[in-house]
Amino acid sequence: MNRAAPTAIALFIAAVLQVAAAPNIAIGPVVPNILLLVVLILAFAEGPEAGAAAGFVAGLVFDVLGSGPIGPGPLVLASVGYLAGSLSANMFAEGWRLPVTVVFAASLLAEVSYGLVLSVLGEGAPFWAAFTSVMLPAAVYNGVLALLVYPWLARFLRPERSVTTFRRMV
Amino acid sequence: MKLPDTEKSGGGPLLLVALVVASLIITTVYFREGENGPLHALRRGVQSLAAPVATVGQWTFTPARAVVGLFSGLGVSRSTLAELRAQNTELRGRVAELEEARLENERLHKLVGFVESLELESVGARVIGRPATAWEGTILIDRGSADGIRVGQPVLAPEGLLGQTIEVTAHAAKVRLISDQRSGVAAMLQSSRAEGIIRGSISGDLGMEYVSRDATITVGDVVQTSGMGGVYPKGLLVGEVSAVELNDNDLYPRIVVRPSARFAGLEEVLVLTGAPPQPEFGGGE
Repeated sequence: MNRAAPTAIALFIAAVLQVAAAPNIAIGPVVPNILLLVVLILAFAEGPEAGAAAGFVAGLVFDVLGSGPIGPGPLVLASVGYLAGSLSANMFAEGWRLPVTVVFAASLLAEVSYGLVLSVLGEGAPFWAAFTSVMLPAAVYNGVLALLVYPWLARFLRPERSVTTFRRMV
Repeated sequence: MKLPDTEKSGGGPLLLVALVVASLIITTVYFREGENGPLHALRRGVQSLAAPVATVGQWTFTPARAVVGLFSGLGVSRSTLAELRAQNTELRGRVAELEEARLENERLHKLVGFVESLELESVGARVIGRPATAWEGTILIDRGSADGIRVGQPVLAPEGLLGQTIEVTAHAAKVRLISDQRSGVAAMLQSSRAEGIIRGSISGDLGMEYVSRDATITVGDVVQTSGMGGVYPKGLLVGEVSAVELNDNDLYPRIVVRPSARFAGLEEVLVLTGAPPQPEFGGGE
């Protein structure tokens, strides 16, 4: 089965939502990273190589949409996508709870890595201030969104695999 | 349930290394190229495409916010007369529209009055996009180079300084807020005339740096632009001092500034299109 089409569709929709929806569902200054969320779910569904490639593209979009340097986004998201993809064999077998937890951890890793890369490039912020005001809240927000999005997006990407939805769990 | 394994090709680490190298090359090119380089041009192109999408998003979510506000204010019993309820709903809609128009009128009057008092040329604009990522302190406005907007022009809210334009396309412009961590504004304290630099931060707080230790600073002091640097005209209201701390070992006092402009819920702004007064260095006729 050709999986490139659903992957491309998911990334395109994520980019549109990052521009149109994410700023409007922000809680204070915390804007959810929908691109990262989709990259992680893609990585869980397709494996490390697809995760890295999707992360590279999504990171490029993330940087181009912003006003900071272009380059740290693909570096961080490709790496995190690869790492998340390495866990793909276990993610679907465990239903939705493990992936949601991993999304939170991976989001935190991505946000911290992004902040560190910006610091190296001279564009960073004091770590503790960035951690409390952006990194941790964004990771929590992404984890909550993953709870809502993961089962449906995972089924769209890999319909042949079984994923326990939130409703079924209840 | 037995699940099929994800296909393994063995080229994963190699692909990751290639992507990391590509990312580093992109980063290097970004810092090496000028404003007209390919990556900057790509960003402007994407911004042109993103502006209408952001407008649609803003438009789509505005009724949702209004509905939330409307429902939070409803407390009418269902046992009351049905026709009055329907009439009430219709009137609420009309009142909401009129109230919205009245508030917009008030805001625009305030904006225009503020700029007229400074005798500066300006262009009004609507906010069509808010920060797309948590690391950004920027907004998108619906005016661009076709309306006379250029990079580096100051942007004002009714209450005071908001930021400056950093990227401009034909019909949209990106504005970096003064609360953004990459922002810097030459400013001074109105009472003591002590000068410094207003810096944004990742948390959105404003700080005033490089103010002399000898300056008299008190909470509540008004902070305004100093006109140094040639970007912002002198006298634009920035905010007021909300906290001051000076330790024995500090080179400069730590000053926290409460911005006058409210960054959340912004709808209309003014862009100062008239060039700020430039210093004369002589040497020419």
